[in-house]
Amino acid sequence: MTQQNFKRNCLIAATLAAFALPLVVRSATYLHILIILYLYAYMTTTWNLVGGFAGVLPLGHAVFVGIGAYTSTVLWLQYGVTPWIGMLAGGVLAGAVGFLIGKPTLKMRGAYFALSTMAFVEGIRVMVENIDMLGPFNLNGPRGLNIPPLAHGEVNFWAFQFATKEPYYYIILTMLVGVLFLTWAISRSKMGFYLKGGGEEPDAAQALGVNVARYKVMAMVLSSFLTAMAGTFLAQLTLFIYPKSVLTLDLSFELAFIALIGGRGSIAGPIIGALLLRPVTEFSRIYFSSTLPGLHLIILGVVLIVVMLFQPRGLTEPLTNFFNSIARRFDASAREERK
Amino acid sequence: MNLLEVQDVTMRFGGLIAVNDLSLNIGKGQILGLIGPNGAGKSTAFNCVAGLYNPTAGKIIFDGEDVTGQKPWDLCKKGLARTFQIVKPFASMTVLDNVTVGAFAITDRRDLARKKAMEVLELLDMADKRNALPGALTIADRKRLEIARALATDPKLLLLDEVMAGLRPTEVDDVIEIIRKLRDRGMTIFVIEHIMRAIMALSDEIVVIHFGKKICRGKPEQVAQDENVIKAYLGENYGTA
Repeated sequence: MTQQNFKRNCLIAATLAAFALPLVVRSATYLHILIILYLYAYMTTTWNLVGGFAGVLPLGHAVFVGIGAYTSTVLWLQYGVTPWIGMLAGGVLAGAVGFLIGKPTLKMRGAYFALSTMAFVEGIRVMVENIDMLGPFNLNGPRGLNIPPLAHGEVNFWAFQFATKEPYYYIILTMLVGVLFLTWAISRSKMGFYLKGGGEEPDAAQALGVNVARYKVMAMVLSSFLTAMAGTFLAQLTLFIYPKSVLTLDLSFELAFIALIGGRGSIAGPIIGALLLRPVTEFSRIYFSSTLPGLHLIILGVVLIVVMLFQPRGLTEPLTNFFNSIARRFDASAREERK
Repeated sequence: MNLLEVQDVTMRFGGLIAVNDLSLNIGKGQILGLIGPNGAGKSTAFNCVAGLYNPTAGKIIFDGEDVTGQKPWDLCKKGLARTFQIVKPFASMTVLDNVTVGAFAITDRRDLARKKAMEVLELLDMADKRNALPGALTIADRKRLEIARALATDPKLLLLDEVMAGLRPTEVDDVIEIIRKLRDRGMTIFVIEHIMRAIMALSDEIVVIHFGKKICRGKPEQVAQDENVIKAYLGENYGTA
């Protein structure tokens, strides 16, 4: 078995194990924690398309989660459109908004882009909190939207509501695997090379034929579209959305934290980041939400500082080296056997 | 037939005239050297040609087409590639990946881009360093990487901005060798260089600029004896002292 094969087999084994997990984990609570973990890994991966590969720091991705959640929910509540179509509609709308935000701001360098995305998410949140009706659409202001749960007999695939946690688990896991595959394919393609080059040395990339701004906007649109799909999923999972749950800086920052700590611009980074950090958030909320709300952000901040000091490219790099050394040892022992 | 014509180009930054009414042309397959004292406007002239700056006045004709004010990435697709005086490698990408970015200018397919990149690296004797990160390279190799990336875009005209600055004499000889090899393959080359030995050995013709103005143009041996050039480099009183 070569190193390449060993790595591929590990990947396949991990994927199969993830799909088989609900056979072992029967508790709804733990399944829910896993679902949320995958959801964050998914959102961070889509964030990473812009924040990692294109080399800018978007701090307002909650806008797209919110657009996805509100679009599908409004369509379902007012027009009875299945959330699956709502998911695509939200994605398209978010892609358009991503284009409008990205077109002027992605030309800015460094902190200015980050600040303008932050301003945008705050602006949208305040607007939604103060608007009850947006044209014909009922956003219900700060009270949010409640999706009435269907009775057990009525739940079905098209309603995107299920009696147990397992279907949600499989849906988000499929979405995650899909978006990881997409990221992998992009990172090997012309677009991936152009994004990475343009993010690191824009002048050099432009001289090599890269329209840096255009590729960044393309990445932004794709990222917005995919992030909005997570918003629809979140709405259908919790059946209740309000501005402070989906349109917040908290969520925007957390995605950036996970990516930065896990490893920006790498495919495994968001997964590793989510695996390590989501439990921190989850448990600090369970145990400290009444006494110290927001504690998880402080913990994440401290972890981020430590990681940036000692592993500025995130935790993926040392873990990859560790994994590679195992793969090499495996390779070497296999060669021994053949002799 | 001229591949590049610079017609009366002026570049002004506020009150400073960096390039003043500069005209020059390069024939196909020629090597043209651009020299001048520090601050003479060489790099600014280059940046106007390469599309980084939009000249205040004048025209740039490339391959029979007016390309004044076009963007660097469009010029690159038309066959104009450049290196930077201060090397700008993509630090987190391997040498091969760096060159592959350039090769994607001529193809959308990864395997073809990879193949092109390997060809260029072999041409420049860098194939054995393909998996290194730019940070691990010597200055000479980093300069060579700049050339390799530009070559991967399959240019008709190559602009080389001081690719020999900071190199040891033997390394300079290697680069001269490379540039000759490229010329023999029919490439047109526009060089800025401070190392006189190199520019004298390479150039078919040399243009000298001083305070943004062209003061001399001619064969290397003519330029070396031109009174204005000697004054520009050595001072007004050199002849009388």
